[in-house]
Amino acid sequence: MEITASTQNDITVLALQGRLDGLASPQLEQRLDALVAAGTRKVVLDCSALNYVSSAGLRVFLGGAKKLKSAGGRAAFAALTPAVHEVFELSGFLEVLAVHPSAAAAAASLA
Amino acid sequence: MSAAVQLLPLTSSLEEIPGLADAVEAFCAPLEPGPRDLHALQLALEEAVTNVITHGYGEQPGHAFTLELRREERRVTAVLTDDAPAYDPLARAEVDIHAPLAERAIGGLGVHLVKKLMDSAGYERRDGRNVLTLVRTFAPPAP
Repeated sequence: MEITASTQNDITVLALQGRLDGLASPQLEQRLDALVAAGTRKVVLDCSALNYVSSAGLRVFLGGAKKLKSAGGRAAFAALTPAVHEVFELSGFLEVLAVHPSAAAAAASLA
Repeated sequence: MSAAVQLLPLTSSLEEIPGLADAVEAFCAPLEPGPRDLHALQLALEEAVTNVITHGYGEQPGHAFTLELRREERRVTAVLTDDAPAYDPLARAEVDIHAPLAERAIGGLGVHLVKKLMDSAGYERRDGRNVLTLVRTFAPPAP
């Protein structure tokens, strides 16, 4: 998996590309932990090029959203591919995570 | 279409996961699977194999186990056999997928996904081994 970071004002956008499986998920967890530790409170996870997520990746998504929330911040998820959307749906994640149709819409929700 | 069988040797390392997905894709290629069927099988097998490595073998490296893949017409059967202590992943309590964010448990989602994605999932302890059998019948190929 590749993670590309960019910032817009106080919002950090992490664009995820490839597969967020059990082998790749620690990489994202470390990235999110580092952002929160450095004071970032608004994170967009752009999933437009993420074509696979397993429960290990879901755990990182959920943990990241919880850590941001408890620090007074928020996470917004954007542009789920059909495979990732199905996994979110089966896991009930559409109900607990903020999911938006595009990265722009996700960023606007955090502004 | 004739039946086909493939035995994949695996070791107790999460490094197996990307190669597992590739092997599943290659095995299913003759069925010309739609993306949903292939994704469902790859995901269920990552979850099941991860369970064997983390719960069965306690994340200790160096253990060997096997995955047998079988194709009969459009029905794909995956049989995961390991010699870890007896452990029935399917007996795990159901996760509450409607709990609010703060109360969402971090575990149990993998088994939940396996059950949702497969047509059937069965566990038995046979000859000192854990045997997990997962079945999914693929949709007809696109015309």
